Amino acid sequence: MNKQELNNKLTQVKDKLIAIEQKVDNRIYLLCEAQNAYDVNKFLFEDVSARFVIATGIDDEDCFEVLYHYSYDRTGCVITIKAFIRDRQQPKIQSIAPFLPGAEWIEREIHDLFGIDFPGHPDMRRLILADDWPDGVYPLRKDTSRPKPVVSVPDSSREVKE
Amino acid sequence: MNWKMWALKKSPWVFHVNTGACNNCDIEIVNCLTPKFDVERLGIKLVGSPRHADALLVTGVVTRQALPRLREVYLQTPKPCVVFVIGACACGTGIFRNGYHVEGPVDKVIKEIDPQAIIAYVPGCPPKPEAIISGVVQALSIL
Repeated sequence: MNKQELNNKLTQVKDKLIAIEQKVDNRIYLLCEAQNAYDVNKFLFEDVSARFVIATGIDDEDCFEVLYHYSYDRTGCVITIKAFIRDRQQPKIQSIAPFLPGAEWIEREIHDLFGIDFPGHPDMRRLILADDWPDGVYPLRKDTSRPKPVVSVPDSSREVKE
Repeated sequence: MNWKMWALKKSPWVFHVNTGACNNCDIEIVNCLTPKFDVERLGIKLVGSPRHADALLVTGVVTRQALPRLREVYLQTPKPCVVFVIGACACGTGIFRNGYHVEGPVDKVIKEIDPQAIIAYVPGCPPKPEAIISGVVQALSIL
């Protein structure tokens, strides 16, 4: 499948997208709403057989964005699905981990740092935050201030002795 | 110089503590042990337990998760011991200053539990093996 065929193929999901942006020759952005992201991901992974690279979370102040980056290795084209989550109170987007196990950990990480929920994820435990990190504090959200440092009093019975 | 200091400087055994480094400093520390630098010929040996160690090689900003572990490792090291703070992050938190997970730098954490701690700094991102060896030699020679 060459460049032209790839572009033609992408038009198959056009009704699920807000826009297709092509900034440079080998960089395509597919903009969509959160509820369509699952279908677009599935199409790109299974029908176009693009390779999933990574996902990114962004706090855009008025909405959250989750960016799924795919590489189409035959032409060296990087395709990014940009999904907008408009609901800031209960942000959620369908997990793509059921058909793409490689996305499991990055979805857990985005959940840790932004508090975006991924319904359908098989194992949504905490991944990278500290064990004593308070629940409901998402450090990479723009409106989060730094939580209090760890409160721990050094044990006086264990003073340093020579 | 009391006999404890003499024994400490004679053949310092070191324990390596990573408190959230990117592994670059750790690679340079391991590099010191490779045949090119081979610090074991000088009696410096990497040991597997802080209870066997004379010195701690601490790398990385102290993250929230690593803070209690670093305290515990320091308390379990026989005193007197030297804390070598390796790399820009460990010396002053570097580019991670004000990060949400950062509780460091290392000297602040160590001094909280032992104000008399002996701390030596080797800055660099990462410090070269030559710099680490030079830092160790200079620190031990002024003790």
